[in-house]
Amino acid sequence: MKHLLLSCILLTAAGAAQAACYADYKAKQDAPLRLHYGVAQINGDCTVDAAQAELPSRLASDGWTLLNVLGVFDDAGLAERVESAGEYYLRY
Amino acid sequence: MQANTTSAIETRLTGNRTVVIGIVAIVVILLIAAVLLFINLPDANAFNARVERLFIENDGLTTQAEIKLLEILAGSGTAFSDTLSSYRFVIFVLLVFATAMLVAAVAFLVMLVALTRRMGQIERKGIEVNSLLISRDQKSVYLNNFEFKLTEAAIETLSVLAEARMDDEVLSGAEIEGVISGRPASDCDEAAGATRIKRLRDTLGNQMVSELLVKNIARKGYMLAIDKDVIRMV
Repeated sequence: MKHLLLSCILLTAAGAAQAACYADYKAKQDAPLRLHYGVAQINGDCTVDAAQAELPSRLASDGWTLLNVLGVFDDAGLAERVESAGEYYLRY
Repeated sequence: MQANTTSAIETRLTGNRTVVIGIVAIVVILLIAAVLLFINLPDANAFNARVERLFIENDGLTTQAEIKLLEILAGSGTAFSDTLSSYRFVIFVLLVFATAMLVAAVAFLVMLVALTRRMGQIERKGIEVNSLLISRDQKSVYLNNFEFKLTEAAIETLSVLAEARMDDEVLSGAEIEGVISGRPASDCDEAAGATRIKRLRDTLGNQMVSELLVKNIARKGYMLAIDKDVIRMV
């Protein structure tokens, strides 16, 4: 009984860890101006601030500058954003 | 009231200073105009910044088609800013032309003033001989555009004086007589030369006054050949 409870707790914990966090953001490139809307997975806290701290370095590797983060969401919100994000869906 | 004395050097100095000040003023004014113009022309990046702000402020603008449209908008803006920079160059060229024109205008204006002043001085001075042409064949001498008939002796005297002037020499009466008669000056009489000069002055002076002042109108009489406005009685 005790083991079951423990495994239950562990499972929930694992489940909570699995409930990944995503953020959708807007980024740009200068000269010529290029814009994109993308979705990225956030490894740290699931907040807009964390996303804002985490994303610029990842985007900068390809010369993109983060403009703003629209919001954070979990798996449930992914599907509706696939089409808009296009090639930038979970790319960075 | 006009000043009694005028100095040519002073006039020239003030003239030069005026020209320099005028030209410097023109260049400074046009430089300021150019700088203001270049500052106020929109920056090439203004369109991009505007599109970027539009993109940030509207959360709904997320679909790929919309984003593509925004990019095209920014692209056309950038193309227009290229046009603007060519305008900027054209404006710059025009400003340079304007500077050149105004500088020339100031220079000409000052030149005109100086010329007018000089013309006034010349008019006051009376007759000024700009050219003297002696024609031995026709026994005549041309002062400026006036032709005067002279006797052979008078022509001879005038020629001697002209040659002496060209060598910057001053001749005494005896020397003049010596050159004309071909004898050494020491053997000649001073009075003989003076007589030649007197005859030259008489014939030339008489003709000049009749040409310039006391005109003889054929079968009518005599008249002063001057404007009646300039006559004053004291």
